[in-house]
Amino acid sequence: MTLVKDRVVLPELGYGTQPESRQLTVDLATMSTTEPAAAAMDQAAGANDDAVAATDVDLATETTEQRRERFERDAMQYVDQLYSAAMRMARNPSDAEDLVQEAYTKAFSAFHQYKPGTNLKAWLYRILTNTYINLYRKRQREPLQSNSDTIEDWQLAKAESHTSAGLRSAETEALDHLPDSDVKNALQSIPEEFRLAVYFADVEGYAYKQISEIMNTPIGTVMSRLHRGRKMLRDMLADYATERGFRAHTEDQAAAGSNNQEKEK
Amino acid sequence: MSDCQGLGDCDDTRMQRIYEYLDGALTREDLTEIKQHLDTCEECSEQYDLECLIRTMVKRSCTESAPENLKNSILDRIHSIKPVEA
Repeated sequence: MTLVKDRVVLPELGYGTQPESRQLTVDLATMSTTEPAAAAMDQAAGANDDAVAATDVDLATETTEQRRERFERDAMQYVDQLYSAAMRMARNPSDAEDLVQEAYTKAFSAFHQYKPGTNLKAWLYRILTNTYINLYRKRQREPLQSNSDTIEDWQLAKAESHTSAGLRSAETEALDHLPDSDVKNALQSIPEEFRLAVYFADVEGYAYKQISEIMNTPIGTVMSRLHRGRKMLRDMLADYATERGFRAHTEDQAAAGSNNQEKEK
Repeated sequence: MSDCQGLGDCDDTRMQRIYEYLDGALTREDLTEIKQHLDTCEECSEQYDLECLIRTMVKRSCTESAPENLKNSILDRIHSIKPVEA
């Protein structure tokens, strides 16, 4: 079993150590997806649908006004996506808006560093993530919600109290009935590093390497965050399904005639 | 959880394989191997289906539109600042 992963990662800057947007220079040309694992990639929510920005630009002679136009044309199309990601970070609409606005402002100021033809959306995501880490969260004056090394005991205990076998195909059906608000709440309740890794993988379909560059962490860390984050999310969703009475068939229920499988709307 | 050891001998290993498959992070060779396994193993394919579903749910739930005024606020801001010259 060989993973396709590139061990060359960016310097480990870590959370909270990267002060200004001018340090956000990153060669996103290297952020290509890994070996196109045909079937899985196709099923796994198109990772390569990012529009590639026009490359016919001469950065040396571009005027400020031209750069502004290029920014508006190429970068502004991702406001919705960045807002969705910001909602996973800030967790309320007002702060998410501030965060996106701040990230766009920084991105515009640093736009001369963006290399045309590389993945612009990923570049913006990285700025958003850094903005959140460096600026927004400090302003909140809140302690780090948690980090990979200090997960709350209850969360670990919870994750470990369920085996993956806790969910079966009948429960797949039960989960499918959960409203979006439950899914959002479940995601919001897992620690942010796990949450963001899951977001970038599941919503944007980014490869591990791309996530590692956006979040400034080694690929191995991305993988373990994804693994644990998904497990927590899955357990949380199973709990929601149970609370809502979307119960899966157990053998007992099946034997009893399956009257217990009520689906409360 | 499982008698199946086709994807590894413990739940964690098995789920890791399924995640890697889901994330398109495997070599073509491993991919083929896992696909063949999923085609024949009901237990593992249920796990895979469930992960696919959760992924779809997350994607659906987290795709939001920014408020109308946000785009304009951003444009106002970037028109008020002078970018750093290259």
